[in-house]
Amino acid sequence: MSLGRILMVEDDPKDVELTLTALEEYNLANDVVVTSDGEEVLDYLYCRGNFASRSDGNPAVLLLDLKLPKVDGLEVLQRIKSDANLKTIPVVVLTSSHEEKDMVASYRLGVNAYVVKPVDFHEFVNAVKELGMFWAIINQPPPGSVRRA
Amino acid sequence: MQGWKPRLPTRLSRTHRYGLAVVSVSIALGLALLLERWHFRDAGIPLFLFAIAVTAWYGGTRPAVLALLLSCASFDFYFVEPLHTLYISLFALPYFVAFASFAALVAWFSAVRRRVEGDLRQARDHLEVEVAERKRREQETRSLNEELGKRTAELEASNKELEAFAYSVSHDLRAPIRHIAGFTELLQKNSASVLSQKSQRYVTMILESANRMGTLIDDLLAFSRIGRAETHKTMVSLEQLVQEALSEVREEAHGRDIVWSLGGLPVWFGDRSMLRMVLVNLVSNAVKFTRTRPHAEIEIGSTDHTHDQLVVFIRDNGVGFDMKYATKLFGVFQRLHAPEAFDGTGIGLATVQRIIHRHGGRVWAEGEVDKGATFYFSLPKSAGGVDL
Repeated sequence: MSLGRILMVEDDPKDVELTLTALEEYNLANDVVVTSDGEEVLDYLYCRGNFASRSDGNPAVLLLDLKLPKVDGLEVLQRIKSDANLKTIPVVVLTSSHEEKDMVASYRLGVNAYVVKPVDFHEFVNAVKELGMFWAIINQPPPGSVRRA
Repeated sequence: MQGWKPRLPTRLSRTHRYGLAVVSVSIALGLALLLERWHFRDAGIPLFLFAIAVTAWYGGTRPAVLALLLSCASFDFYFVEPLHTLYISLFALPYFVAFASFAALVAWFSAVRRRVEGDLRQARDHLEVEVAERKRREQETRSLNEELGKRTAELEASNKELEAFAYSVSHDLRAPIRHIAGFTELLQKNSASVLSQKSQRYVTMILESANRMGTLIDDLLAFSRIGRAETHKTMVSLEQLVQEALSEVREEAHGRDIVWSLGGLPVWFGDRSMLRMVLVNLVSNAVKFTRTRPHAEIEIGSTDHTHDQLVVFIRDNGVGFDMKYATKLFGVFQRLHAPEAFDGTGIGLATVQRIIHRHGGRVWAEGEVDKGATFYFSLPKSAGGVDL
């Protein structure tokens, strides 16, 4: 089974560790790119700055936190969905926010899924696992994203 | 009362009033004499009557009597034979009596008229003052209302701010709690073999507490959302909402002997998802607090929906409560039972109350320890409710 690359934006290192641990449990963690703010993820997607030499195409899915330093999550989402080359990347908002406003805004901007991180670790692991399984394995990403065998 | 100064008819001094009698009679006499010189002999009587009337009008009753006497005397002296004496012949006496009576009548009319006019003027002044007073009060009311509006707006703003604050605090609290729960779980998993039994128990307790805190925060967030969310009111079938609530609590009720009796729930005007939350909360409470009963009975129905409001009740034969705590039931974090006996965060009924208040209704409860409880909520028709 081929495995799509997961791109994650998360400013909290503890959350990064928990998410990676959850992905590891199901062997989904071997192709995860972690960026820590909105600017960095845009650099990655546009292959500029630290990622200027990157040539491995678009990720299979982007896990996006909404509360981010510099460029916030909704703005990242808006930039992606209004760019012809990036808008086919599936974006999953993975956030602490139950706020209806954020949810409505995300869907308006064309988010593919909206997941509120559960407090309970089991539920969190399950949520991340299912996200990883679905988007990195089951879902057929649009052409342009690279899968590893 | 301000400026209450009735404008009484101008009062002349006593000297002026009696002087007026003398002057008016003198003028009447002068004119009569003048006219007599030109042979208008009968002009005297009307002129004197006029003088008496004027005196009665401006001077009052007593000067009018003086004017009457002076008129009689002058008339007798200048116009009645024998002239230039005050002698009144027997033959002329009735004439004088008639004159005097007529003049008295004129004076009396005049005085009455004067008094009535004075009263009227006073009434008018009084009315003017009252109108001014009323205007002032209206102004006062208006400014009070404006003040009230301003205060309400301020209160609403600060309330919103508080809600936003509560929301963002709860929101920010969620992340550390998730981390505590997550890493504790990982600790438990990775180190279970090296931890003593006691330590393992500690880890379990940390996990339980973290999860409980997570639930509390989530419930608080839901509670705060109700305060901030817009209501979308439509015609809602309460019957259907109850069915939905029942399927929501199916898991809790699984394996229990519960007799449900439902009935008489109309279509009513309200926010569907909010009313659903109310019913889910109340039904789930009924299921929860009858847990210790081998045979539970839960009744859901309505009363009163023919009048201007609908009252829905949920009755159970559960553990009940002491009526002296009835008002405490609906407060945030208020619990009447130890968490070990019945789980829950103490936010459910506060949420119910908040939703019903937003619908302009009321919540209350009746209960008896070990006999069961009945929870009621009312939804007013003024919000647009209709009968079935």
